[in-house]
Amino acid sequence: MVEHLFIISIILFAAGSLFALCFYRWQMLGNYISLILAAIASCFNIAIATSVLFNHSAIRFNFLLYHAIIKYSFLIDSLSAIFILAISVVSFIASIYSLGYTKLYVNKRDTRFLGFNFNFFLLSMILVVTANNALVFMIVWELMTLVSFFLVIFEYENPLNRKAGFVYLFMSYICAVFISVAFFIMFSYVKTWTFDFDSFRYAGDVMPAICKNIVFFLVLIGFGIKAGIFPLHLWLPLAHPAAPGNVSMVMSGVMIKTAIYGFIRFYFEFLTPCPPWWGVIILIIGAASAILGILYALMEKDIKTLLAYSSVENIGIILIAIGLSMIFKSYNLMALSSLAMVAGLYHVLNHAVFKSLLFGCAGNIYYSTHTKNIEQLGGLIKRLQITAPLFLVGALAISAIPPLNGFMSEWLVFQSLLNGSNIPSVIVKVLTAICGATVALTGALVATCFVKAFGISFLALPRSEHAQHAKEVPVIMYVSMGLLAGLCVFMGLFPVKIMMTVNHASTELLGVNIAKAITSYDWLQTKTLQTNFSEISPQSATVFGLMFLAITVGAMTLINPGFTKKLYETWTCGISPEPRFGYTATAFSKPFRIIFSNLYRPRLEIKTTYSVPKYFVKSIMYISEITPIFEKYFYAPLSRYVLSISNKVRWIHTGSVHMYLVYIFITLLISMLAIRW
Amino acid sequence: MIQLIILPILQIVVIVGLSPLVKGFINKTEARFQCRRGPSLFQPYYNLTKLLRKDAVVSETASWIFRATPYVTFISILIIALLVPVLSSTVPANFTGDVILVIYLFALGRFFLVLSSLDTGSAFGGIGGSREMAISSMAEPAMMLSVFTVAIISGSTNLSNITQAMLSYKLLSPALFLALAALVIVIIAEAGRIPVDNPFTHLELTMIHEGMILEFSGRYLALIEWASCMKLLILLTILVNTFLPWGVASGLTFPGLIISFAFYVVKIGFFALLIAIVESSFAKVRLFRIPNLLGTSFILAVLAIITHYIVS
Repeated sequence: MVEHLFIISIILFAAGSLFALCFYRWQMLGNYISLILAAIASCFNIAIATSVLFNHSAIRFNFLLYHAIIKYSFLIDSLSAIFILAISVVSFIASIYSLGYTKLYVNKRDTRFLGFNFNFFLLSMILVVTANNALVFMIVWELMTLVSFFLVIFEYENPLNRKAGFVYLFMSYICAVFISVAFFIMFSYVKTWTFDFDSFRYAGDVMPAICKNIVFFLVLIGFGIKAGIFPLHLWLPLAHPAAPGNVSMVMSGVMIKTAIYGFIRFYFEFLTPCPPWWGVIILIIGAASAILGILYALMEKDIKTLLAYSSVENIGIILIAIGLSMIFKSYNLMALSSLAMVAGLYHVLNHAVFKSLLFGCAGNIYYSTHTKNIEQLGGLIKRLQITAPLFLVGALAISAIPPLNGFMSEWLVFQSLLNGSNIPSVIVKVLTAICGATVALTGALVATCFVKAFGISFLALPRSEHAQHAKEVPVIMYVSMGLLAGLCVFMGLFPVKIMMTVNHASTELLGVNIAKAITSYDWLQTKTLQTNFSEISPQSATVFGLMFLAITVGAMTLINPGFTKKLYETWTCGISPEPRFGYTATAFSKPFRIIFSNLYRPRLEIKTTYSVPKYFVKSIMYISEITPIFEKYFYAPLSRYVLSISNKVRWIHTGSVHMYLVYIFITLLISMLAIRW
Repeated sequence: MIQLIILPILQIVVIVGLSPLVKGFINKTEARFQCRRGPSLFQPYYNLTKLLRKDAVVSETASWIFRATPYVTFISILIIALLVPVLSSTVPANFTGDVILVIYLFALGRFFLVLSSLDTGSAFGGIGGSREMAISSMAEPAMMLSVFTVAIISGSTNLSNITQAMLSYKLLSPALFLALAALVIVIIAEAGRIPVDNPFTHLELTMIHEGMILEFSGRYLALIEWASCMKLLILLTILVNTFLPWGVASGLTFPGLIISFAFYVVKIGFFALLIAIVESSFAKVRLFRIPNLLGTSFILAVLAIITHYIVS
């Protein structure tokens, strides 16, 4: 039954793609059909994921079109199911959101390819997390890259978008190279001579330590590029803003999570007995990504780039949890390992939800103002009256403000970090505590970043014509965002439900079920979350909050029943308020630019032009920018070096077919000889 | 019964009722240091009643965020008041949450306060809001690390359990002492006192908290002022009842609570006096020196946790 659903969903996605291509005259119709088919297919996938999670039955199936090596086999176990759940929920909402968003392109550009690629993109992500064969995995992984590349360069007239697409494609290929080499190394130690994941599951036992370490680093770099960890994040802040709003929602919300899926598969299944220092490395990389990601997000003025950098930060938080889980596992503290894994997977789901919400709202802003620069916005809360509270919910959730969902996963991460005190090694113990401080600093910076993002774009007076005349977006766009906002609240208020869901995956991975240990009952007799350190019940905190609200409002009315509010203009020292009096994003983040000046290396340039006598200023130009140190000191020298090397070896590219045939022959000869020995 | 109904009411009454007095006490003491007679101890109460009775002027630019903020700030602090052990080591809403929730509830209030400072479109609000976020971001890691130290020593992040565990310690261990020092600095920064922020200033360029609330009036201002008094008292309560839990009643008997209340008043009075002394003898630090101060606090907290791991 469930197998059939899966096949139907694949067919629906494929049909959706084709429908989008079929209609040339009525492009929008084709688009709508394809998006609706994608939404239906996503619903099917949600059903599949829930059925796998709650029936504890993995589904596996092989397609018949296999020959000797490539067996098209797929497996949906509970880990896959968690990721299918995240992908499908976001896909569903992105599909119905696109029904409104694609109106932006009516009569402006050919939307056939948007629908075609969008469907294939959603499908490829589902296939990536279900593939049960390394070759199939690589095929669908590359499909995902390629299709998302086409989506990134959808608005190809803009040279920036083309550059973003190029960087994305280039880095994705490096990523694919690393992952495939990792697979091949493992393949050479697995004596079954198949690329099946089932045989890779025991690869860790038979591989020598040195090879395992090599595979560890290959996987770290390979999936790290896709996940966008520092300093491999280069493509992320370029590609996500370049893609159309509905696509960046999916890319940032879930596509980068497929890399997290890869990490978990490799580190918890394939390379299984892993030394503690692997976990420590993941932990440190996670902490660095978290802090650096948000520090760069803080400086951004482009709302989508800001959100992209914030994705780097959230990947960092997830990796902290996963690294911690690896550390606990290598010290054989399985229950704690499971706790950290639950925290990480919880954050995967949370980030999928609130990041799609925020990207969707950014799409709404773009839809109605045609700008992504928050300096040009302002005052939108009075114009986009429904989008504003939705964005606020997303901003609160991502800043881990209770009682929304971000807080619950952050709380679990803190609890796991506190349990770092059970690790025997003192250095690792201190490290986990310092990681706790890093997460706290990150949390505070995220709050700053999203106060800025919301405050500057929605509050005060509009700073441009676009913002002045902004109109609320089509109903379907904010309704779909409303669903996500509702999910943010639900996942924050009922953490036990989510925890139980992700617990299936961590139980299967680590063999310890902590469901009983981390739940208890509160005074409302509802299940709440607890760990060995503490317990928490966001529902009861909310109930208290509502009670206090009623009391406070009541008391206020009693004290002064005839309370009146007089509206008057803001005091601006005697002149009437103007938009330029309000704080800007650059000004808001100025203290951070000074405090972290070692990292940002801000450059300030003030050019003053005078009129003929030197007393009258004609114009002042003010340029303030930060130095992108990774681009400048790491990628720029690297690309120069690669270019010079390629220059040196270009003589072998003669352009003559005969020469190339000789090369092929020599390669063949060498590889045959290599195999012979 | 007592735990579910009387104790919460008692705690709310103590925190809500006494917090303006703490402010009055600090003001009075500082006035004495400056050889002034100063306003009455109860001046903050007079101010609050006056404000509560007044109507409000609201900026035309402001949205619903501006009007919601006073309530959000006030209520988030009230919830915190239920999570902190005040008179008894039993906390009314023990099951609701722990010190991490407390820290993030403070963040909730701050989030809205900073948004409302941007809401009116005045530059002063923005100055205050941006600085507030910068300082609180710098304070957060030190705060979390000292909380970690205490939590790991007492085996819990739940404030009630921490107090109970600390009651069994006779003396402060070196780790706890370092964590205490770190936390004192953080609390000064969080509560916006000298040397981080000057609560009496109305000079545009030095305002932080005052800058944010410049546009509020009437009952909105009253709620925010009251919330900030309560925030100071709650921070002090956390400090005294986790690090120096002497006299805190462990049960819920009537005489126990009375004794506990007496000890509580003395301890809070001592720390309020300390704040007054610090405020009278130090100048406000330049804004971009504050990270150094908070960095010191962070280093102390790191030392605290290392000390704990090495000593134990």
